[in-house]
Amino acid sequence: MSLLTRDNPGETHLMMGNEAIVRGALEAGISVAAGYPGTPSSEIIETLAKISDDIYTEWSVNEKVALEVAAAASFAGLRSLAVMKQPGVNVAADFLMHLALSGVRAGMVIVAADDPGALSSVNEGETRLYAKLMEIPMLEPGNFQEARQMTCWAFELSETLHMPVLVRTVTRLSHASGNVTLGKLPKPDRKAFFQFNGDMLDPMEGPIMSPPVGIKHDSQQKKLEQAAQLFEDSPFNTYGGPESPELLIITTSICDLYSKEVVALLNLEDRVGILKIGTTWPLPAQPVLERLARTRNVLFVEEVQPFIEEAVKVLVAGSHLDLSSLTFYGKYSRHIPTAGEMTPERVTAALSTLLQLEPDPVSQDYPPRGTALPPIPPREISFCPGCPHRASFFSINTVLQLDNRQGFTCGDIGCYSMGMLPGGFFTLKTLHSMGSGSGLASGFGKLEKFGMNQPVVAVCGDSTFFHSAMPPLVNAVHNRSSFTLVVLDNSGTAMTGFQPHPGLPVDTKGDQAPPIDIEKVCRAMGATTRTCDPFDLEATQKQLLEFINGDGGVRVLILKQACALSPEKRHTRAFEVTVDPDSCLGEACGCNRICTRVFSCPGLLWDAENNQATINDVLCAGCGVCASVCPQNAIQRKELP
Amino acid sequence: MQLLGPTELSHRILKGDLCTSCGACADLCPYLKSHGGKIASVFSCDRETGRCYAACPKTGVNETVLSEALFSTPWRADPLGHYRKIYMAKQGIKASKGRFQNGGTVSALVIAALEQGVIDKAVLTGSDGIMPRPRIVTTPEQVLECAASKYIAAPTAARLNRAATEGDTNLGMVGTPCQMTGLATLRTNPLARSDFKDPMGIAIGLFCTWALSGEGFLSYLDQQKIDPSAIRSMDIPPPPAENARLTLAEGVKKLPLDEIRKRVLPGCSVCPDMTALWTDLSVGALEENPEWNTLIVRSERGEALVNRAVEAGLLEIRPISQTSVDNLTLAATNKRKRALAAQERLGMLDPAFQNPLEIQPKQTIMGFR
Amino acid sequence: MIALNHDPYNLIITGVGGQGNVISSRMIGNMLAAKGFQVTIGETFGASQRGGAVMSHVRISSKATLSPQIPVHQAHMVVSLEPIETLRVLESYGNPDVGVICNTRPTHPIGVISGRLSYPSTKEIKETITRLSARSWFFDATAMATEIGNPIFANIIMAGALAATKELPLDRNVFEETLKSKFPPNKVGLNLTAYDQGVGIINTDNASH
Repeated sequence: MSLLTRDNPGETHLMMGNEAIVRGALEAGISVAAGYPGTPSSEIIETLAKISDDIYTEWSVNEKVALEVAAAASFAGLRSLAVMKQPGVNVAADFLMHLALSGVRAGMVIVAADDPGALSSVNEGETRLYAKLMEIPMLEPGNFQEARQMTCWAFELSETLHMPVLVRTVTRLSHASGNVTLGKLPKPDRKAFFQFNGDMLDPMEGPIMSPPVGIKHDSQQKKLEQAAQLFEDSPFNTYGGPESPELLIITTSICDLYSKEVVALLNLEDRVGILKIGTTWPLPAQPVLERLARTRNVLFVEEVQPFIEEAVKVLVAGSHLDLSSLTFYGKYSRHIPTAGEMTPERVTAALSTLLQLEPDPVSQDYPPRGTALPPIPPREISFCPGCPHRASFFSINTVLQLDNRQGFTCGDIGCYSMGMLPGGFFTLKTLHSMGSGSGLASGFGKLEKFGMNQPVVAVCGDSTFFHSAMPPLVNAVHNRSSFTLVVLDNSGTAMTGFQPHPGLPVDTKGDQAPPIDIEKVCRAMGATTRTCDPFDLEATQKQLLEFINGDGGVRVLILKQACALSPEKRHTRAFEVTVDPDSCLGEACGCNRICTRVFSCPGLLWDAENNQATINDVLCAGCGVCASVCPQNAIQRKELP
Repeated sequence: MQLLGPTELSHRILKGDLCTSCGACADLCPYLKSHGGKIASVFSCDRETGRCYAACPKTGVNETVLSEALFSTPWRADPLGHYRKIYMAKQGIKASKGRFQNGGTVSALVIAALEQGVIDKAVLTGSDGIMPRPRIVTTPEQVLECAASKYIAAPTAARLNRAATEGDTNLGMVGTPCQMTGLATLRTNPLARSDFKDPMGIAIGLFCTWALSGEGFLSYLDQQKIDPSAIRSMDIPPPPAENARLTLAEGVKKLPLDEIRKRVLPGCSVCPDMTALWTDLSVGALEENPEWNTLIVRSERGEALVNRAVEAGLLEIRPISQTSVDNLTLAATNKRKRALAAQERLGMLDPAFQNPLEIQPKQTIMGFR
Repeated sequence: MIALNHDPYNLIITGVGGQGNVISSRMIGNMLAAKGFQVTIGETFGASQRGGAVMSHVRISSKATLSPQIPVHQAHMVVSLEPIETLRVLESYGNPDVGVICNTRPTHPIGVISGRLSYPSTKEIKETITRLSARSWFFDATAMATEIGNPIFANIIMAGALAATKELPLDRNVFEETLKSKFPPNKVGLNLTAYDQGVGIINTDNASH
């Protein structure tokens, strides 16, 4: 049994932030959880699906649908959870705006995981502004214990206000681990029934809809005021430090831990106080004003946008406090950088400047003078050994170059986003949000009228196809656009850890489910389709050339080959790959080391000393594609049983 | 003359619009490939020297080396190049009839070479509608399918490179001066590879003054509302003719030569070679008599093939008039002069044209530390 | 509770995606949490399977919850599954008192595989690490792991080695209990063997310094 389902209140365990959120949701007695995979949020739904048979968990097709699935449960009287990474909130935003207005019935919590520093994202978006935009309450856990407690309490809050509640976490909390003390697990009554015959405005028995907007928006404002009232005494807002500090840090989320640590490290406990806000929106006035009245200098430590900084400034402007007696430091004063994640060093730098501290002697003298470090080669991320994407991009790039009309490829979100890097031969020339490659291609494909004759290719993964590439594809077919979509179908949501999607014959819990055939869907839309194995470079290139040189229209090439790390393929090899030392001519070949220099699979090694390519036996995944890349047939593959 | 690599080739020749798509640089390595009548660089290659650069007839031709290697004789700057004999020639009585522009000499020679076992296969330029298509042939019927002049440039030399890479030897090749110059350079093993084998059994050159850009010509046809697939044949008669003749289903269509010339590859203007200097045999029209060809015999093995073809009744040769030789010499001299002037104008004679280039790739992401 | 050499104690476990250092940091973290310490593990693993550098910050305290990021130059011990990753970590987190346990088997980055960049020699790496640390141990954990049956066990060998240095209150009993709570029974035996091998190489003084 997982420790997450242990009913031993008071026990302490080491948990990942996301696990603490799961435990909090379980302690709130949720019945339904839905989401779409995205780092750093994925472990929440994944863990719930694994450990609990009492609740319904779903990897939905996208975040908007996930939010709708969770909302339906709330409408039917069951506590529910919707989980997504920040860009997913953008996808779900349309429904969220209406849900905030219509209100919810049973407690409903949205966990949004932001990725400050874009450690595993292609943007650095902020969810907190949505709380303000959507006019819903938001909590920000500052440590592992709070991740459990706040998630649990958020459901109560949601039921008190009949509003969805946002819990905002960040990568450094979700993916870090810390001590969590368990609370009690309830035994909820899970009876679903949707009441709709009551009064139009009765939150418990009436129909649930956003109109009449005037009345609903007014009541939404009242609920927010009520939330602010509740937040005034919340134990999630804490202060530590001298009664009248020389400098007050106002912080939230995991930034609280950095602030505390740096204040201790610099021995500033007597000079600096830390006000940590956990109930970030609507900002509770009293605890903030009370502290501001006892200091003259304020430093805001938060990531990524100056959200609390602005809220506090607005609060002060409308308060009895004398503005001229306070100086604010933070993003606006540039004491905290305006982009990127928070680090202890950023807090140190700000405090050192503001309090005029001496520089740290260790950082000054280390590495010791005279100890020159050799140049450390950077570790670029790339496709794994045996990754089908490397083969696919090798072919796409080859075909576009052969075609010689400056054709280009629109990228999309997944492991294959790395097609923009050297390991993907710089193949991707645009990269934005989920499904945008196909939408851009649909647009590019209409520009022939204005003289553009460059062939247009778009790529998307199998999961991305269902998430948001289908509407642009319909758009392209109907509007007679012209491009080739390459679906890089590696049989799972690989980037985030092989979550199933509608194209697979299994559901979130691994039970049998009807798969939806991508090729049939595309054909039904009216696209010309073909399926190839990307490991067969020749067949793939031939088909792609035919599509690119064709008479236009929307063409879909499905390159189907499972991810090398997929559970069914991992630790298996299709081929034993070797290099024949007599055939490999090294630098004398004229191939200019195409295997290691260009194809650059980590399963290959360039042995400069012996002027030969070799196979890295530890890393080689045995896909055998490099054998087709070697012009000298020096790389040989033998089929393994 | 300096041996450089793909960077210089790519920037000075391919991007400099000097490429005549002869194909000599392509299919020698995994990077440069011929496709759809053009040369493409599939992945970047940073070698400092390469056979691709050596093979390119536009990066500079080392006439001294070629003359020694092919004919064991010093280069004497004769506009017609080194030759043993010049004849007028046409197919012999035993040859099968084909659709020839002139006397059918090239087809007769290739058929003779195949039938007599001088070569195993020949690399010729066939047609795919109006577009030329390099192909490998082994039978007389296939040779005849490839007869008739092509006016559009084709990377036929790349097809020979591919065959050689796949291990073929004893290959015949018929090609234009640029194609034959590139291949001749490759036959000198410019990178001194230890595994080098000369793949060429017989090299037959075609007289050439220019070739059309496939892309340019197709777009011209498009402007003229002519469907390229409806064209049965095309003939560009020598001056003073003013029109090219396209034979279509509904009759002959004339196109002004002035317009056609605008679609000549810019790279042809710098080519000094009219008669394919670096071959065993060179064949062209005989201006004075369209039933016959001019045949220049350059090498010993070329001479041997001519003799065997005549003996077999596949080829008929006669002495050529001095007037014809003089006219040919004048035409070749003029092409050479024009080309050198153009080379000078484009800075190709400047020593800097032979300097290595340092090009920093625009798109590199040096990873994440 | 046993007192820590330093409170907080800052341990960095580093390596390359796929080497299992996330598992090894969790094992060590769980062992110390089971002894009643406050443990925080910070890690970045979004791109870890794709050949990127992976670094876990394991922080142990008897007093307070710590942040998931060790401040620069504050590491007490660096356990590294890959030689140049050791250098990378020391450059930012090292200090004159830091200890190092280093697997000597290189995993070449793509830039090295493709010939654009070069990998420092083992000698150069060892010398630099020795100069940059107060104490260091080097051995080929990948070779030892391959002998046990799978190169992945290098991570557990490193955990055993760390225990043997007595830097932290880690012992075999807690390791075995933690193993049993996290792994299916058939995986316990080989992991214990790997742990013992790691302990052995330090105790028999077979690791080079």
